[in-house]
Amino acid sequence: MVAAGLPLLESKLHVPRRRRGVVGRARLAQRLDRDALPAVVLVSAPAGFGKTTLLAEWLAGGDETAKRAAWLSLDRRDSDPAVFWSYVVAAVRKVEGDVGAGALGVLQTTPTALEAVVTSLLNDLAALAGDVVLVLDDYHLVESLDVQESMRFLVDHLPQQLHLVVASRADPPWPLAGLRARGRLLEIRASDLRFTSEEAAAYLHEAMGLDLTPADVDTLEARTEGWIAALQLAALSLQGRDDPAAFVAEFAGDDRFVVDYLVDEVLDRQPGEVRTFLLETSILNRLTAPLCVAVTGRSDARTTLQGLERSNLFLVPLDDRRQWYRYHHLFGDVLRARLAGEEPERVVDLHGRARAWFEAAGDRAEALRHAMAAGDFAKAAELVELALPELGKARQDATIRAWLDALPRHMFANRPVLTLGLVGAHMVTGDTAGVEELLDGVERWIDPDRPTGDMVVHDHAALGRLPVQAAMYRAGLALLRGDLAGTVAHGERAAALSAAGDHFGQGAAAALIGLAHWAGGDLQVAERQYAAAIASFERAGFLPDVLACSLGLADIQVAQGRLGAARRTLAAGLDIGTTNGPLRGTPDMHVGLGELHVERNELDAAAERLRASLDLGEHLALRQHGYRWRVLDARLRAARGDHAGALALLAEAERRYDTDYSPKARPVAATTARVRLAAGDVAGAEQWAVDAGIGLDDEPSYLREYELLTFARLLLATGRATDAIALLDRILAAADSGHRGGDAIEALALLAVAHDATGDTPHALAALEEALTRAAAEGFVRVFLDAGAPMHVLLKAAVRRSRAPDQAAAVLAADGAPARMAPQGLVDELSSRELDVLRLLRSDLSGPEIAAELGVSINTVRTHTKNIFMKLGVNSRRAALRRATELGL
Amino acid sequence: MTTAHQVGSYVPPVQYEIRVDGHLGARWAAWFDGLAVTSESDGTTVLRGSLVDQAALHGLLQKLRDVGIPLISLRQVPSDNPPEGNRP
Repeated sequence: MVAAGLPLLESKLHVPRRRRGVVGRARLAQRLDRDALPAVVLVSAPAGFGKTTLLAEWLAGGDETAKRAAWLSLDRRDSDPAVFWSYVVAAVRKVEGDVGAGALGVLQTTPTALEAVVTSLLNDLAALAGDVVLVLDDYHLVESLDVQESMRFLVDHLPQQLHLVVASRADPPWPLAGLRARGRLLEIRASDLRFTSEEAAAYLHEAMGLDLTPADVDTLEARTEGWIAALQLAALSLQGRDDPAAFVAEFAGDDRFVVDYLVDEVLDRQPGEVRTFLLETSILNRLTAPLCVAVTGRSDARTTLQGLERSNLFLVPLDDRRQWYRYHHLFGDVLRARLAGEEPERVVDLHGRARAWFEAAGDRAEALRHAMAAGDFAKAAELVELALPELGKARQDATIRAWLDALPRHMFANRPVLTLGLVGAHMVTGDTAGVEELLDGVERWIDPDRPTGDMVVHDHAALGRLPVQAAMYRAGLALLRGDLAGTVAHGERAAALSAAGDHFGQGAAAALIGLAHWAGGDLQVAERQYAAAIASFERAGFLPDVLACSLGLADIQVAQGRLGAARRTLAAGLDIGTTNGPLRGTPDMHVGLGELHVERNELDAAAERLRASLDLGEHLALRQHGYRWRVLDARLRAARGDHAGALALLAEAERRYDTDYSPKARPVAATTARVRLAAGDVAGAEQWAVDAGIGLDDEPSYLREYELLTFARLLLATGRATDAIALLDRILAAADSGHRGGDAIEALALLAVAHDATGDTPHALAALEEALTRAAAEGFVRVFLDAGAPMHVLLKAAVRRSRAPDQAAAVLAADGAPARMAPQGLVDELSSRELDVLRLLRSDLSGPEIAAELGVSINTVRTHTKNIFMKLGVNSRRAALRRATELGL
Repeated sequence: MTTAHQVGSYVPPVQYEIRVDGHLGARWAAWFDGLAVTSESDGTTVLRGSLVDQAALHGLLQKLRDVGIPLISLRQVPSDNPPEGNRP
């Protein structure tokens, strides 16, 4: 099992067994069982109040669902969202194997897209027949804002099937008041968890076998205020004493902090060796016999551990095989404080031994923790440097950043590989402050004249790649700053520096250079570079990068007006993606091909592509997919007259507009304006022009062209044909000189309409003939159909007057074909069975009840539900019902 | 030691006084990063000392939370000793 690419610790998913000598919390367990389990159960109390014990007991004695609960014991490392969600999904999958594949997929490709991760998980859960309990223990240890936000999202969208049980020392930052008010929260707090007098008596007498007077029991209960950990310590201190009453009296009369006093008592009663063992091993998060031997130097560690567990001295087993333990948190913390106070000089030495053991055992994370605690920063730096490649591959960017930030800054001065890691960590989050200085420092080490005597490097392979990597980062930095010339210069340097066989390096450099040229509107060079990048990546075997570049190359070719070339590019990419996977990026190939079909007015084929793309799943898609498939869907609906549906999709697409690094050549807002014009909403289109700051005198450039063409359509719609002609002439000139064939054709088509509007038929027909001739070569049809009713008349005139008559006739034929429009306004109609399920989804019936009602299996209902969601383009029951109402189903 | 060009960028650490319920012996000072730990006659304990920033303060509060000792109050204390150097 892996978490974000790294092996999982099974112990974190292990449900704690009920421990001996623990008082049954029947009174509390009843509250948990009483009614239907609420959406959220929060057990919030300080350390040592028996939260974990209560939950373990409740689960062991509970119903079917409780017995199968998914358990996750959290620790500090789970502050990295990639790690946290990997573990959450892993925990749930132990119980429900079908769930979470999509979420894991997104985590692997785009670990920052946490909302997508959670949404995918929630969808899977919402399709389950039965309920799932997810327990998160020690939730207070998770501190990162990203995790909190994504958990907040989860809590806000809890499906019926999921019951979230959280144990924490602090209330989580969730809308608890709202949950309380809606009756969806069950809280168990410190006041609930404290032992009552009866429970204290039962614990002391029965569980611990003590013989105390009622008065003494009351005194103990009062002094400890029912704090379970304190009572346990008191009980341990009392065992075997001749005069318990004296102890109780002394305890009652002492002012010391309860736990401080009692831990002293307990420690004092241990044989010296055990006391030392406890103090020395307190530095460990997790204990196992060989580790304890290494840290304490005592060969009888296993016996000591087992003895401690038997005498119930706050040792918690982490697995069933009794190999790993940890101290109860409270006890461990006090022991550590004791050690710091008594033997501060030993602490460093102990951490050093632990570090060595973990390093040899291959657990770099724990080794690092101990190295830092020992103040051995040189060792820590070494461990981090060696861990960078695998952490990077696992996309645990937050962890990388945290570890690097924890190292003293001065360590980076003579550690170029480590510094480059820091550069990478910054670049990944787009945090470019100070990166340039860091790169200056790194590159000083590459200077062949510089003595490398005091350089410290542990990952020599990385050192070899340093010059190329540094140049690539500089190229990336330039790109972020909009310095295209700089991007190209550094990219070319990187390409030159990369070794002959380093196809990946050459591919990456070519792609970056291509991107810079693309952004600058230099399409010819961009196309060559992207083609070269694809070839390099293919040779290097980095196939997902081939797909990503194919998408870019196809976009460039479409901008050049070369639909055929774009089709070949995407088809090749699709072939690679399908044969080898499906690989990440395959859905995007389908969407790209769909877009080409739309241009050629092959609407059914386009719909097929859209379906194929969605079937593969969002977790396989690149960053652009979220908005791009919606734009494709919108264009299909608009072509079939469903403007309302198109606009709804475009609104969602706008929210998700993310071109990755590609130039923003076709802003969604402009597409929306075009649909508004087609729907007759001129005012809406005018508002877009205002918002986009478009004006008649704007200079046509590659990035502005689509918007300017949209503006020209607006001018035509508002009767300003002369202005439109002036603008379109300038656009045409610019598009022709920039080899942007598609935009040139559109400009010509609109010019035809514009001239026609001013009554200038000769110029109109000339423009139309030119447009048709250019369009025919590549199959552009939609551009004419989208030009409005006047175009229809013009095309007829063109046929009559033999101006590209065959081409004109072909377009007319396409226009005349009846558009097949699904009556419900959906690309895919819902089958009658699906409509049945939809009807029942409106009720309060659960999955199994719906299955019973329809006389089918729950799996069938699950499949229908999944298809309904896909056809409606939603991802929750609520949204499905809303959309269904919108569509009048 | 501050020099003239450092003035304006120097932020002195802030002194805090944190009161908790129950007596903690002075030997806890090491655990709390060298703060002075004083038991008071009313059964509380006061931790006093300077913390370099908010993150350090929250780290300390978490250590107190981990040990389970109830927090009573927290306040900033005006620093008695201004730093040396030229200050306009």
